[in-house]
Amino acid sequence: MKRFGWLVVALVSLGLLSGCGSTPKTGVEGDQAGLEAGKDGKGLGRVGGNSSNLNDPSRQGAGSYHYDVNVEPEHRVYFEYNSALINDRAAQVLAHNAGWILAHGPKGTLTIEGHCDERGTREYNLALGQQRADAVVHFLVAQGLPANRLKAVSYGKERPLVPSHDEAAWSKNRRGEIVLR
Amino acid sequence: MASTTLACPVRLAGGVSARPGWVWCRWLVLLVGVFGLGLSSAWAGGIRIDITKGGLTPLPIAVPSFVNLGADGQIVASGTMGGQLSEVVTADLERSGLFRPINRSAFLQMPDTLWRTGPQYKEWRVIGAEAVVSGATRQEGDQVIVDFFLYDVFQGTLIGKGKRFTASSRNWRHVAHRVADEIYTRLTGETGYFTSRIAFVAQKGGSKLLAMMDQDGANRVDLTHGENLVLTPRFSPDGDNLFYISYETGGTRIFRLDLIGGGHTLQGDYPGLNSAPSWSPDGRRMALTLSKDGNPEIYSKELGSGQLSRLTNTTSINTSPSWSPDGQKIVFNSDRAGSPQLYIMSSGGGEPQRITFDGKYNSSPSWSPRGDLIAFVHGGGGRFRIAVISPDGKNMRVLTDSWMDESPTWSPNGRVILFSRQEGSRSQLYSIDLTGYNERLVPVGGDSGGSDPSWSPLIR
Repeated sequence: MKRFGWLVVALVSLGLLSGCGSTPKTGVEGDQAGLEAGKDGKGLGRVGGNSSNLNDPSRQGAGSYHYDVNVEPEHRVYFEYNSALINDRAAQVLAHNAGWILAHGPKGTLTIEGHCDERGTREYNLALGQQRADAVVHFLVAQGLPANRLKAVSYGKERPLVPSHDEAAWSKNRRGEIVLR
Repeated sequence: MASTTLACPVRLAGGVSARPGWVWCRWLVLLVGVFGLGLSSAWAGGIRIDITKGGLTPLPIAVPSFVNLGADGQIVASGTMGGQLSEVVTADLERSGLFRPINRSAFLQMPDTLWRTGPQYKEWRVIGAEAVVSGATRQEGDQVIVDFFLYDVFQGTLIGKGKRFTASSRNWRHVAHRVADEIYTRLTGETGYFTSRIAFVAQKGGSKLLAMMDQDGANRVDLTHGENLVLTPRFSPDGDNLFYISYETGGTRIFRLDLIGGGHTLQGDYPGLNSAPSWSPDGRRMALTLSKDGNPEIYSKELGSGQLSRLTNTTSINTSPSWSPDGQKIVFNSDRAGSPQLYIMSSGGGEPQRITFDGKYNSSPSWSPRGDLIAFVHGGGGRFRIAVISPDGKNMRVLTDSWMDESPTWSPNGRVILFSRQEGSRSQLYSIDLTGYNERLVPVGGDSGGSDPSWSPLIR
């Protein structure tokens, strides 16, 4: 059930996040990132949900992600070690991305990249990166982006964002990226 | 290339063709001793890191320069082939860790007289040689012909018969590796592995390309040129083809490269992840990982018909399949129990048996061609190291000690494991004996790093 864990996380996050920032900080804090998200407190309210996720019974009453749809979000979310779960912080960023892309983004196909830190084997990380990219796709689709516009690609540990070899680098390299070009 | 067993020359009448008992017994004791060490440490409970170097005494062997012969079969003073051949043979034997080639400056008998009259055993005994090799080479058109004899210095006898190899001149290194294989086999009782190749991913600047070289690092050729990211080459059982991953169509896709005819072909275009290709031992199937049905699962694809059968069915990651040498089973990696562990299933699918329980990260299994061991990556304490385990899940031994070792692949005789080691931001290839001795850097040439090695079968 790991793949669907983000649903649970997303629901939990609704209770925690009442006024989320429009430009989330990068998730250096790892699994604390979600708790940090509320501090910006700008709360420029737009309900990120839409008809498609309202039709999903697991998301009834959900959809209270707050962001400014006119502010471009960071197109990147971070994961915990050996995990493909969308945490609170990532859920907020992805909801913002979905709203922003629908309003202002490109109209064609978007590539969703899944990336891992350098620890672990190449093949396992390719699979884990795929799980991460797929989790981001599922979340964006639930937020209203058409599935046929999203293509998930795993890069495993091949494309680190930060080249050094410590937790600070690894926490930025475990990521999902929405490629707009 | 052709090989023939030479009749003993007249001068060697009286030489015996059987392997002398003395040398054989000594080696048997040596090998049993080393294996015994591994077993007893496992039985003692807990993992023992077999990285103590120098526990094995290599056999002192003398490999003088091979003599160059003219068309009339007489020794000629000119010619460089003999010296080059013996250097390749010497390097092969030395690198195996089982032999200690004696420095040539110590030799008392010259190669010419060694070839003409056979060994003056006393002169080899004096310098501590336990075996001596005598070889000769001549050109015949485009062919290079190599004859060699191997002697037991203490018994004063031939070990096996003389042997002749013939090949085209440009394959002279291959002939030298054949000679080294023969020597290795006669003195250890195991098949050699020097006539083999390594496919790998070379790092050149910021790009990765597919490359191949002889097992000693010579004759490197680049098979792609870095325009697309490529990963995990895998030799076919006949050594003539590679499966590998390329991103040239925008995602992870498996391609097949024909090393004989050239050209590469896409092996299916399934949505999502296409990875971890592995040839069945009969060459008819590919085990692979696809995420088209929701999460990374292992499938078996019949190469002739293209028919896919799904082998695993979970909600977690399943990847890195590797076939048993009889083709009956597949060992793979799954995190179905919460962390990546190794499992063995029938090659037709079905309920798998978990074989690793030690640690929270066991991945990237590679089944030995001998069938008796599985090499894999064992993570723990922030380090990822090469380990081996029996297919029944017993006798796990950790062989290396670095922070990111991965991609183990076996020599064709199941004796040596090649792997990649990350050092800073680049990787290098290393080899290690399955006992945990004789860890060596394997140079890949130029300023490239190397990773993702695949060791070919023997090339004859």
